[in-house]
Amino acid sequence: MMPAVMADTEETQYGRFLDIGLFSRFLSYTKPYKGWITLALLLLPLTTLAQMAQPLLIKEAVDQNLLSGELDGFGTLALYFAGLVGVQFFTGYLQSLINALLGQRVVRDIRQDLFAKLTTMDAQYFATHASGRLTNRITNDTEAVSNMVSSGLVNLIGDVLLLIGIAISMVLLSPKLSLISLICMPIILYGTILITRKMRIVQRKGRVIQANMAGHLTEQVEGQEVLRLFHCQSRNRAVFDKMNWDYYQTVLKSNFLEAFQFSFIETASVIVVALLFWYGAGLSADDGVTIGVMVAFIDYLRRIFFPIRDLSGKYTTMQAAMTALERIFHLLDTPAAIHSPEQPQESGVTQGKIHFKNLYFDYGKGPVLRGINCHIAAGERVAVVGPTGAGKSSLIKLLNRTYDPKQGTLEIDGISVDRYPLERLRQMVGMVQQETFLFAGTLLENIRLHHTHISREEAIQAARETGAALFIEKLPGGYDALLTERGANLSAGERQLLGITRVFAFKPKILVMDEATSSVDTISEGLIQDALERLLKGRTALIIAHRLSTILHADRILVFAHGTIVEEGDHASLMAKGGLYAKLYDLQFQQQNQESHQTTAA
Amino acid sequence: MGKTGSWMVKLRHLLPFYRQHALSFGIGFLLLAATALTTAAIPYVMKLAIDTLTQPVGQQELGYLTLTLIGLALLNAVTRVKARTHIFGIGRRVEYELRKQYHGKLLELDTPFFNKERTGDLVARGNNDILAVRMFIGPGFLQISNTAMAYAVTLPIMIGLDPLLTLLIMAPFPIALIAARYLTRILYRLSRRVADRFGELSSFVQETIAGVAVIRAHAREESWRQRFQTESQTLYQAHLDHTRLQSLFSPLVILSGGAGSWILLYYGGKHVAAGTLTVGDFVAFSGYLAALVWPTVGLGWILTVLQRGLAALERIGRILDTAPFLPPALYQSVAEAPCPRGEGAIHIRHLSFAFEEQGSPKKVLSDITMEIPAGSFIGLVGRVGSGKSVLLNCLARLYPIPKGTITLDGRDLMEIPESQLRQTLIMAPQESFLFSATIQENIQLGARGELSEERAWHVAQQAVFDKEIETFPKQLQTLVGERGITLSGGQRQRAALARALAADPVVLLLDDIFSSVDAHTEARILDNLRDVAKGRTIVMVCHRVAALHNADHIYLLDEGEIKAQGSHQQLLENSSLYQNLHSHMAKEEALEALQAG
Repeated sequence: MMPAVMADTEETQYGRFLDIGLFSRFLSYTKPYKGWITLALLLLPLTTLAQMAQPLLIKEAVDQNLLSGELDGFGTLALYFAGLVGVQFFTGYLQSLINALLGQRVVRDIRQDLFAKLTTMDAQYFATHASGRLTNRITNDTEAVSNMVSSGLVNLIGDVLLLIGIAISMVLLSPKLSLISLICMPIILYGTILITRKMRIVQRKGRVIQANMAGHLTEQVEGQEVLRLFHCQSRNRAVFDKMNWDYYQTVLKSNFLEAFQFSFIETASVIVVALLFWYGAGLSADDGVTIGVMVAFIDYLRRIFFPIRDLSGKYTTMQAAMTALERIFHLLDTPAAIHSPEQPQESGVTQGKIHFKNLYFDYGKGPVLRGINCHIAAGERVAVVGPTGAGKSSLIKLLNRTYDPKQGTLEIDGISVDRYPLERLRQMVGMVQQETFLFAGTLLENIRLHHTHISREEAIQAARETGAALFIEKLPGGYDALLTERGANLSAGERQLLGITRVFAFKPKILVMDEATSSVDTISEGLIQDALERLLKGRTALIIAHRLSTILHADRILVFAHGTIVEEGDHASLMAKGGLYAKLYDLQFQQQNQESHQTTAA
Repeated sequence: MGKTGSWMVKLRHLLPFYRQHALSFGIGFLLLAATALTTAAIPYVMKLAIDTLTQPVGQQELGYLTLTLIGLALLNAVTRVKARTHIFGIGRRVEYELRKQYHGKLLELDTPFFNKERTGDLVARGNNDILAVRMFIGPGFLQISNTAMAYAVTLPIMIGLDPLLTLLIMAPFPIALIAARYLTRILYRLSRRVADRFGELSSFVQETIAGVAVIRAHAREESWRQRFQTESQTLYQAHLDHTRLQSLFSPLVILSGGAGSWILLYYGGKHVAAGTLTVGDFVAFSGYLAALVWPTVGLGWILTVLQRGLAALERIGRILDTAPFLPPALYQSVAEAPCPRGEGAIHIRHLSFAFEEQGSPKKVLSDITMEIPAGSFIGLVGRVGSGKSVLLNCLARLYPIPKGTITLDGRDLMEIPESQLRQTLIMAPQESFLFSATIQENIQLGARGELSEERAWHVAQQAVFDKEIETFPKQLQTLVGERGITLSGGQRQRAALARALAADPVVLLLDDIFSSVDAHTEARILDNLRDVAKGRTIVMVCHRVAALHNADHIYLLDEGEIKAQGSHQQLLENSSLYQNLHSHMAKEEALEALQAG
């Protein structure tokens, strides 16, 4: 729905016709293709000349040969004419080919830059920018720029050149006769631009309604059950019919304008011809007006149709491109909040010691972490428990610099995390998320994430160790089985196992895990516990625990509340303390007691 | 004949339109004829003017000719604009009607149909296919008539002037026609490929943004950049293939026109020199040539358009021909008539139900018999896939069931008119789908007539959603969905419940709508439901202990059968399966409590 409706607002705003700053920056993208541009520019005068010369040849033929009956040199003339048609064909073909090629190449380059930029942006950026808009930058905005290049820039010059060329030829042939045409040409051009502009406004309105209808239809299909259950069909029908009717009315208007524009140029040029006859009748050969000149003028006037129609469309193409460029460059210029240090600290083999030093953090809406201090020894397993919103997830996000703390430092092996190269840091810290995000593609690539250093065998080995192999090898295609959208064909438990396998394959020294809350069946639950046991061996681990067994297996438990650690210690000492942990645990224990009681009763 | 028959079948959904707009098509045809005539007359008058110019006298005549030319040009403009808008207008009108029919059909079709179809396909049909049909009717008709007329009018004049020359300058045209037809056919295929690649690139970017946290956490940015480079290179290649041919199109027109001009110059020139042709004829010929080039090339294009239009028509036709399982009479009878408020007693007798799966039926419910007294609170419990949801869907008449298996207040469920049924019985489905509209509008969906703001707040409060609505930027008028704020799963479920409550139904079916609501909130909602339950039958899929405690009667389902029934206490004493389920629920809730604090 979003792109559809946005089409009405931000996404179709038109900017200026030409913005020098934006444009010159855009030109830097065309630099690698200087050769092509030069060729296109060189071809322009050729095409123009080929077009301009044809009526001249006919004029010569009419005046020299046709009227007099003298056929000397007529053969050569005809040959020239054939040559010109040939030149026009080839230059025309080459030119539109080069234009399109250029447009697509430049766009490909801009797209790659944009994408590369997106991959460096931080979590904060993605949290505050709608994904639909970001996608639009790379897809539709670049497409608008491509339109400008392939149908616009060079042709714009070409059209102007041709009109000027025709004007010059006319003046040279007969200054008096050309007076009429030269007065009329700008009028036709201006009129066409006016109609075209009006047409574009109506067309844009039509497109917005169309997008809304498409969005409505999508929602109706997705929500068909609700519409049926609440018996809203007639109301829905009325809403849609209004849009449909509005669209009908709008397109009727734009149909009229299109037809009008089409006829306007043609009719105007016929009227100019008529005026030429009327005016030319009073002139004689002494004024340079021969029959051949008349014929050539008629031919010229027929030829202004296309460049004029073409030119009138350029305006909106350029406007759309300028707006798109502005948005594209804006994204390219946005600095990433988190980046690799310029002079990273040398560090040896990772041991896995973690030290939180007086950490403060917030997302700009009140404090989330308020002074966290904690040492975690290499190889230690720490469980984090506490109410939702206590800051547990935020804490682990600081560890691999998904976010940076507002105050305080976080050290791994005695070196602050922001002193490590980002890539190295993230290789050291493996992260298992609550929900395993799966990409379209094969299971294998979802394990190794297109990492060329992880061989197929290593990935399969990882799957065997975590037990994911049990279900993968049963799938048709095995490791090469394609996942459907977001892994919809896998169960929640299978997805979690895959997430663990993924981290396993990357062999991090430190493991950070946000245990999934969603329930999985008992078989998967057992598998996941086993997989975790293997994964945690010899690694430092920080786990937001949701399962009792995970908590009981931890070396140490951190109890979080309101952004601070309120209790810490092992299970026994925390129970003895009788604080928040004990309270939480009792609740749980009581329930389980009850359950076992019931089972024995049965 | 067989071929015409199949054409008639293909066009069956259009024939009514053709009949309805027959007069309009006739007028359009006449307008086109007038356009063709004036178009052909213009070069002829120019010829006369040139011929007059070559005479030493004839000033006055030239004046008349000038006026005639201007008159013709204006007349031509008027008829052309009229003809085009008229004929395109018919196409647009048919587009409007067809879209209305299609949309209406989708509203009529039911759950089994939508389970089979993909959303994307249905939407694409409503957009692209209807566009293709419109092109078939409007521009298709115009182009074919136009070309026919241009030839019918122009060709005789040309032949009248010089038959041999006509033949010669027309020689490149068949090549242009065939080339245009061939080019457009390949171009459509190539442009489809460009669109597909563009779609792939776009989904790749969307997916990358959605999964950016994973990519970042594993430091895989470089791989993704490389993959994007491959994607964008593939798109570039597809564009290039398309461009190579596309760029030929316009030069081709120039070439065929230019070749004609050259033949005209070479042979026609000789005739003029020899005195068998006037300069005026020469000019007229070049005018006719220009007048015929585009219609000829256009014909090649339009053949492809027609082909696509027919294919699209067939796809739309398949939907339009699909019938819902309920007889139409149930939709139409007493459209919005108020019905007597029933009691809400439901009887299910020996209900079995199966889905079609890959051609063979897959049984999901077998021999279900239930007595649901009016005003009772019935709990359904069972494992995933036990048939609870299907049973509720059958009760809500989303699936076709055998006659006589379910009755509502003594009437066969399959015979109650749609409007009456939906006033009596409301279900809140498992997926709490909300529309991209304001919260008020979403709740309004359930209400008959206008929903007062007071009532909206009231049902929101019953669904324990009012306190959160108060924190939204525009409260009840806050937009939800992609354009507005994103609601959490639990918020969506409570909004959907409020919507169901706004309908004030006699029978309320709740399909596991508290899965994302915390236990404490669910308990509060259940209290509210009990208060408003007076005189209301509730059937609810339960997944928490509290809900089970509240139910008057519980049915335990497993593998599509009723395995046990009774009150909570009875089941706890008699059914081991129930005990297991109950203890599993209790454990989950305890864990949840540990985390929620």
